[in-house]
Amino acid sequence: MSYYLLQALNGCAYGMLLFLLAAGLSLIFGLMDVVNLAHGGFYMLGAYLALSLVRWTGSFWIALAVVPLLTAAGGFLLEWELLRPLYRRTHLDQILLTFGVAFVLMDLARWLWGADVQSLPAPPGLDRSVLLFGTLFPVYRLFVIALGAALGLALWIVLGRTRLGATVRAGVANKEMTQALGIDIGMVFTCVFAFGTGLAGLAGVVAAPVQGVFPGVDFETLIVTLIVVVVGGLGTLKGSFWGSLLIGEADTFGKILLPQLALVIIYLVMATVLLLRPGGLFGGKTR
Amino acid sequence: MRPALRIAASAVPRGAGLGTRSRGVLGWMALAAILGGLPLVLSRYVTVTLTEILIFALFAMSLDLLVGYAGLVSLGHAASFGVAAYVVGLLSTRGVTALAVTLPAGLLSGAAAALVIGVFALRATGVYFLMLTLAFAQMAYAVAHQWSAVTGGTNGLSGIPRPAVPGVDLGSTLPFYYLVLVLCAGAALLLWRIVRSPFGAALVGVRENEARMRALGFDTFRLKVVAFVIAGAAAALSGTLYAYYNGFVSPDVLYWTTSGQVLIMVLLGGAGTLVGPAAGASAVLLLQNLVSSYTERWTLILGVAFILVVLAAPRGLVGLVARRWTPSS
Amino acid sequence: MATTRRGKEGTRDGRVTRRQLIRMAAAGGAAAAGARLAGAFPVPAVLGAAPVKIGLLVSYSKVYGQLGEDITNGMTLYFDSVKWQAGGRRLTWIREDEEIDPQVGVRKARKLIEADRVDLLTGIVSTATAYAIRDMVHNSRTILIVSNAGGDQLTRARKSPFIFRVSFSSWQVSYPFGKWFYENVARAAVLTAANYAFGTESIGDFKQSFVPAGGKVLGEVYPPLNNTDYAPYIAQVEKLKPEGTYNFYSGSDAVRFIQQAAQYGLTKKTQITGAGFMVEQDVLPAEGPSALGIYSPLHWALTLQTPENLAFTRAYRERFKRDASVFAMQGFDAARVIVEALTRTNGDTSNKDRLIEAIAGVKFQSPRGPFEFDPATHNVIQTIYVRQVRQVGKTIANVVFENLGRVRDPG
Repeated sequence: MSYYLLQALNGCAYGMLLFLLAAGLSLIFGLMDVVNLAHGGFYMLGAYLALSLVRWTGSFWIALAVVPLLTAAGGFLLEWELLRPLYRRTHLDQILLTFGVAFVLMDLARWLWGADVQSLPAPPGLDRSVLLFGTLFPVYRLFVIALGAALGLALWIVLGRTRLGATVRAGVANKEMTQALGIDIGMVFTCVFAFGTGLAGLAGVVAAPVQGVFPGVDFETLIVTLIVVVVGGLGTLKGSFWGSLLIGEADTFGKILLPQLALVIIYLVMATVLLLRPGGLFGGKTR
Repeated sequence: MRPALRIAASAVPRGAGLGTRSRGVLGWMALAAILGGLPLVLSRYVTVTLTEILIFALFAMSLDLLVGYAGLVSLGHAASFGVAAYVVGLLSTRGVTALAVTLPAGLLSGAAAALVIGVFALRATGVYFLMLTLAFAQMAYAVAHQWSAVTGGTNGLSGIPRPAVPGVDLGSTLPFYYLVLVLCAGAALLLWRIVRSPFGAALVGVRENEARMRALGFDTFRLKVVAFVIAGAAAALSGTLYAYYNGFVSPDVLYWTTSGQVLIMVLLGGAGTLVGPAAGASAVLLLQNLVSSYTERWTLILGVAFILVVLAAPRGLVGLVARRWTPSS
Repeated sequence: MATTRRGKEGTRDGRVTRRQLIRMAAAGGAAAAGARLAGAFPVPAVLGAAPVKIGLLVSYSKVYGQLGEDITNGMTLYFDSVKWQAGGRRLTWIREDEEIDPQVGVRKARKLIEADRVDLLTGIVSTATAYAIRDMVHNSRTILIVSNAGGDQLTRARKSPFIFRVSFSSWQVSYPFGKWFYENVARAAVLTAANYAFGTESIGDFKQSFVPAGGKVLGEVYPPLNNTDYAPYIAQVEKLKPEGTYNFYSGSDAVRFIQQAAQYGLTKKTQITGAGFMVEQDVLPAEGPSALGIYSPLHWALTLQTPENLAFTRAYRERFKRDASVFAMQGFDAARVIVEALTRTNGDTSNKDRLIEAIAGVKFQSPRGPFEFDPATHNVIQTIYVRQVRQVGKTIANVVFENLGRVRDPG
């Protein structure tokens, strides 16, 4: 029994990691209807920047605070300079452009930080393990769960209870109407985009001690994030949260119960969810 | 047949009247003649490279039917391509080498894969459709990756012999090139005719406004599935030829990066023009090969190239060259 | 869906106009074509004869990018020491990226063999690529000196007189260790590996000597390649309560597995062992203290105390400011094989049979110990060492503490 509880906790930790990634992408997708294939690139950049900052300042916490700001700034620039002109154009153009950006980010990372597989150690204090369910469980993963839950709560409050949140939700529901009400939807877009990439950077820092930092981590992560976002439903916070948990648990239990299907568990889950609910778990529109 | 052409006329691609149709065919024939004559004057290596370009040009054109005409952006097109390549590889390495058997086998398996995927994925639209196509292609990848007893796993299937055609040695460069040229040109011509037919017009109509088409009495789901299967069959042809070309298949042909690469070829060249994606395929292959010889930073250069194309050449490479080229809309 | 654009483009952002783009592209294309043409007519060497063209095909991008760089560095180090000359001719190389995609590997190999007309081909990091180009290499009578790809069949069922391997075969690394594990670690084991050819092959090779020696396999676990979260698998292994485990992971998988195994306490509960690649220099720094205590078999170690290795590692560190790895060593030896063979044939690369004979006869003291080729398979015959990850002063390194003798792949 404790074995299964342990696995459930593992799945929860993995799910929260996914949530950090998916939240940003879901907002961007949902609100702006923009395909951002460079999202994985910002995640990767976050991890590499954290590496450098930790080496420089010796503190994981400083990196955790500063990196999201850096990637948010990067996202702001990207949106302002390159993506803005493309809003009137098709998704295809956005795909090609953001793919190009993703390639550039990937090669830049390899150029600046080298091709090694590197790792970011968990900060002292969190690098211990505690006895849980009869075995040692890393405290860092518990931290990830706590962080994910806290972020979820914070986002829920902001989106649901503040004016800013209401604006964003209105934008997701109906861009034109919101604009008609006198709100500068362009600025909202840019801010949401920057926030999304900031979250991606945060996810990069938080995931680095678990996943490692190396060229190629961006595209691997992008695919899983897209799956989570789609399963949960575009543009809904509830969707990203529950979608992440579902995928996290399904992946974990799938690996031990159906090892032959390990590669495709999450795809099967996504296909099943979409066939039953074409808009994702909580997505209203079947865009 | 479908309701009156009159109604479909409003969705007919601009510039697709009778005059341009015969012009188009002439254009294709001229290109085919050039491609037929080139290998006689160029080196063996260039001919071999050209063979690969032809295969990917067809692959890209088949995706254009979905992306540029039907408006269905698929990230799983590698499924039909790869399934056909594996079927052909498996047959060939087990002694079944007659082209008359392997070619139909490849086409059918790829088309069947497209049918299965299409029936499920086409229930969704937009991003959801995209992700479903991705999911099914990844499942095919997983099968190829894990079923090592049959597919060779990550080591792949190697030593695939060239197809057996009585009287012709397809093991040598020129005969194989001409086989590829004839098959790809034929398939391209077929695709060209399809997009200029009422069926093609109906596809464009579905892309522009599906609800309206349904109101007009079209079975849009069936239209889309048929388009998916046709595109799958064309991709299967290119997959079949690719297996023979390399003499080798590995799970990477089914991986999402292959689907991504062919999508890039379509977008770069100019979706909705058929010729554009063919040009895009050539450009991407040449770029990748040429640039990587000179610098390790070729990924960076490729990325920058994509960005530049999007910003400065919104209708893709084809739009750059032919000012008045109008894609189907 | 948004509409497609029509009308004037290229002037909107003012950033790059269409005309500028065409000009740039044309200039770029002309430059590339010009350079390519120039390359087609090599400048005659000062020494009189045309330089020897070596094609180096390794991975420079993606996860195994570091391996390609290491191999290249190793080769550079050796070629520098002989001033890029052998048999009276200058040595030049053309480097290409195999990208760990066999389809790309085939394309690049074809370019090197047919367009660049290299005299020899070397490198090949990925086994899949090696199998993919095997027929092309054999049919074009191009000599290939493999400096990594370890698939067993490359020098068995799919061997070719033109293909030499200076690196290793999976069997050489994992087979001798099975019996040693039984005698020194535990009588029963859990086996895990990344689920791809290299992984499953290595586990199979280990079992070939472990089981006949009396070993019992308690269970086998195969996480997918590029797996992020090993927690579910580690829990599975723990459930079986093994005294020892044999594992196979490389690259980022190795880093994650080792780190997570340490976090979940697996490293304390059981003796972890694994094929040397799991703790080699490319991943050991990232694994850090989590890897302490792990036993691994491999044909080399950074700390190997042979005079050749001391010289090699010192020179490598001085030149490249980082520690050598087994891949760098393999590149170093590949370069030496090429130079020694060319010396024997006096620089003659046109007579392939003579060159093959020369290569097959190369014997020397490599940093890894005595080096020679098996005339039957053209695979290297070498010593396999057992190492343990230990703290050595300020760093963590693989310390050799046992020698499993000369190992020759059965073919």
